[in-house]
Amino acid sequence: MTAPAQQVPIAAEAVPRAPRRRGRRDEARRGIVWRTIVAVVVTIIVVFPLYWMLVVAFSPRGEVFEPGLRLWPSSLTLENFEKIFDRYPVWTWFGNSLVIGVFITAITTTVNLLAGYAFARLRFAGRDAVFLLVLSTMMIPVQAIMVAQFKLISGLELYGTYWGVILPGAAAAFGIFLARQFFLSIPDELVEAARIDGAGHIRIFLQVVLPLCKPLIAVLLLLTFLGSWNDFAWPLIALKENELFTLPVGLIYLKGQTTPDYNAIMAMSLVSVIPMVLLFLFFQRYFVQGFARSGIR
Amino acid sequence: MARTMRRKAGIAALAVTTTALAGCAGFGGGGGGDEGDDTLSFTTWASESEQLALEDLVAQFEDESGATVELNVVPYEQMFSNIDAQLASGDAPDVFRVDYGNLGVYSSQEQLLDLSDAFSGDEVDAFTPALWEAVSFDGAPYGVPHQTDVSALIVNLDMLAAAGIDASTLPTTQDDAWTWEEFADVAAQLRTALPAEQYPFVVNWQQGGTPRWMSWLFQAGGSFMAEDGTPTIDSPEGAAALDFTRSFFENQWVPPTSTPAGTVYADSLFSEQTTAMAFVGSFLVPDMDYFNEFEWTALPMPRDERGATDLGGNALVATAETDQPELATEFLRFMVTEEAMSTFCAATNELPTLTALEGDAIEFAIRPDVMPVFVDQATTIEPEDVRQLTSPAMAEISVAMQRELEAAFVNGQSTEETLANLDAAIAEASGS
Amino acid sequence: MTQAVAHAEGVRPGRVRVRPGQRRARRREGLVGLGFLAPNLVLMIGFLFVPIVLAVQLSFQETRGFGDPEWVGAANYETMVQDPEFWRSLANTVLFTAVTVPIELAAGLSLAVLLNSVLPARGLLRTLIVLPMVISGVASAMIAVILFYESNGLVNKVLEAVGLGRIAWQSEGAPAMLSVMLVAVWLRLGFNMVIYLAGLQAISPELYEAARIDGATRWQQLRSITVPLLGSSTFFLLIMNVIASFQVFDVIFVMTGGGPSGATSVLVTYAYRNGFLIREQGYGAALGIVILLITLAFTFLQWRTNRSRDQVG
Repeated sequence: MTAPAQQVPIAAEAVPRAPRRRGRRDEARRGIVWRTIVAVVVTIIVVFPLYWMLVVAFSPRGEVFEPGLRLWPSSLTLENFEKIFDRYPVWTWFGNSLVIGVFITAITTTVNLLAGYAFARLRFAGRDAVFLLVLSTMMIPVQAIMVAQFKLISGLELYGTYWGVILPGAAAAFGIFLARQFFLSIPDELVEAARIDGAGHIRIFLQVVLPLCKPLIAVLLLLTFLGSWNDFAWPLIALKENELFTLPVGLIYLKGQTTPDYNAIMAMSLVSVIPMVLLFLFFQRYFVQGFARSGIR
Repeated sequence: MARTMRRKAGIAALAVTTTALAGCAGFGGGGGGDEGDDTLSFTTWASESEQLALEDLVAQFEDESGATVELNVVPYEQMFSNIDAQLASGDAPDVFRVDYGNLGVYSSQEQLLDLSDAFSGDEVDAFTPALWEAVSFDGAPYGVPHQTDVSALIVNLDMLAAAGIDASTLPTTQDDAWTWEEFADVAAQLRTALPAEQYPFVVNWQQGGTPRWMSWLFQAGGSFMAEDGTPTIDSPEGAAALDFTRSFFENQWVPPTSTPAGTVYADSLFSEQTTAMAFVGSFLVPDMDYFNEFEWTALPMPRDERGATDLGGNALVATAETDQPELATEFLRFMVTEEAMSTFCAATNELPTLTALEGDAIEFAIRPDVMPVFVDQATTIEPEDVRQLTSPAMAEISVAMQRELEAAFVNGQSTEETLANLDAAIAEASGS
Repeated sequence: MTQAVAHAEGVRPGRVRVRPGQRRARRREGLVGLGFLAPNLVLMIGFLFVPIVLAVQLSFQETRGFGDPEWVGAANYETMVQDPEFWRSLANTVLFTAVTVPIELAAGLSLAVLLNSVLPARGLLRTLIVLPMVISGVASAMIAVILFYESNGLVNKVLEAVGLGRIAWQSEGAPAMLSVMLVAVWLRLGFNMVIYLAGLQAISPELYEAARIDGATRWQQLRSITVPLLGSSTFFLLIMNVIASFQVFDVIFVMTGGGPSGATSVLVTYAYRNGFLIREQGYGAALGIVILLITLAFTFLQWRTNRSRDQVG
């Protein structure tokens, strides 16, 4: 099944319209009105939780579970942000998420590109068997092996370090097949021409193939970084010191305080989602293509 | 080629910058107890006021001793899986905080530093005997009782007044504490007066607080485990306590979310005015003061055959494998000096473990007016209660207890079956 | 992720040539291939295959976190067979998957059809609907906690205001399950829409035009053109959604912790609880092995289906 690998012009308007006959014009106009109403209502429902996060984050303390219905803040305040930046090492957690994300992304993307190239373009014994083995592990959730993985990183003295999060996080295979698929689509002639010029495999990979792969690399970088930034279960297990927490673990820490302060938690949630929302808005095309091709979310 | 190189250089530069940003600490191996000569690692969970008080005391100790203490505050729910793992891999912190129930798990498996030689007989006598007993295993102390904490009943005076309950009729001391019947009458009166989405009270037995159910058992005159580990919970007293607490749910006196396995805690439900009363520990007084936008005060727990409350509070322990046994001992001794303890308790609204600080010796920083009720409530704890609650089997018992109480309160499991199951679970946990 | 499986069967680059003069070059190519593969393989062996072996070993032990583990044979698996909480978690996992997946497919398709038609500000609407995809499970669940908070959460306040009455989101099993399902659907709706949009745009408009000339209604067009031609997208989404539902962790961990009374406990949260919260690591590892086996079985099934689909198609 090679289904949904087509272009996904999400924000683009370049969809061919079916030609319409005059007699249908009124009907079509009514249709548009109805469809617009439905689409807008659905969009509002989908976006509402994010709006509510903003409301609670900017509301005065305690204004979340108090009796009485209110759909916007009684007054706008920054006190929740002042509180979290004052009381918790939010910037440190932010930095930790960034460091871990950058390392996982750099390592995973590099090794996946290499492996994908090997599977697509190089012949060696047992290649297809190894490929199937790698693929069969792609769906295994961390919860299946977390106890053992935890014992392993403890044994390697990686428990409670960045590496304890990074290395298991980088042992991912999803990028391999995305890369392989891409490399297979590169015309043989290009590679052959380089080989006739006397280039070795490594040079071909670096000088001929990689420069053609910018979209692929962008997709890999963005998706891996997104996954790592939002990852929660494994960092929760593998980190032990407050100073090394990532943002999602920090969120759990705030919730675990005696009498959780949900205004502060929403402020913190907002801080943690802003970078991803910005990345998404800037690189929407790559995200959407990546999702469509890999099914990773 | 050049472009690829530039990109790689870019990634590398980004990595280096971000590493520098966050400090390189995270890449080091191990952590835990293998720092320099006079550095102690101290892992704890803490409320906000506890964290501030601990930071102050740690700074003071560093000044006095010249040593460095690395304070690591972690979420409570991950605290003991963290500690277990670090003990297993041999890089446990030098000192950590542990509740009296979990302490037994570690001391009975020889994971903690024996402090027998660190305290003289007189020094030992300065502690409340029951709490010194709580940190001891086979006669040897494996930690210092740092603070204790008991629950009392806090009430929303506005909601009570609205229900026609006059504040001047409320009990203030153990002598005039409500009986179970009187408490039930108040709850019934509140139930009638309150709208359906508000409730008379809430009990703080959620999650790790499940052992607090034992307060009701003790009040009924019961016990759950004899000295040799034989279960004693399947008794008329056990049935009385279970029937009474079950009636809280049947009569809708407590919010349905507040079961032992529930994830919404009593203090949250009280602050948001979902309940008119709540059983909470004194350590929550600072939070209540911060969040509550109404008048509230504290009352003694109700009593039946006797008065009783739960044994909260925590000990500080050093690990057996610490490479700084002297310094760790010195730190523990420092934390339980009268001065340090009274500073800590005053700032956190917790209760001391030194007899010299009992009564009104501590000037609590926040809501000092409600604290005498908690101090008074602490006198209802009996050594026999402490012995049971600090047994090494307690951690395992509370897991079974949460399951069984949940089944009784929510799924209508009969009293007989619940008590029989608890009996079996206690026997298994204690190995009797 | 899954198309890859098909590729493994299908396209193979180049033909295998066995000319003797090229033997050295081929050996060299093999070495280079292994070299390219090595970094990934080392990571995967170290942090995936070794832990799998360790997990099998652990599942035959009783270990409480520290101290020496005790070899107990199949005792953990025997416990599991008789453990009502395990069966409940398994049933909840199946229920969660069986309910969320069809809803995600249907809602994704409807939205894709809607947003593929002529609409003002269509790009903006699409962007907003896809946005939840980049929100972390933890942050989403935190928002959901305050929305579905039983005593004073916004959803109950609104329900009450419109006269519908409060719902016991946190104290009754069925509403609690519904609330986590809603959040899961919210998180994945955009993904389903995106995939279907891609599929729709590959369908030739002339097909619809021809159908219209034949007098087909919109519903008939949807049934006889759109749905059949989106078959491969649907299959792909089916696999993706089932996997995501089977592995749902963050949302349940934060929102309900598996409660009330185990009503939202699923296999992955139950394994976490045993492995990391109540000192039953051996049992937690055994639960992990069950999750592993189910995952592999599903992978295999999907693989077989893929193959037969490819042969038919």
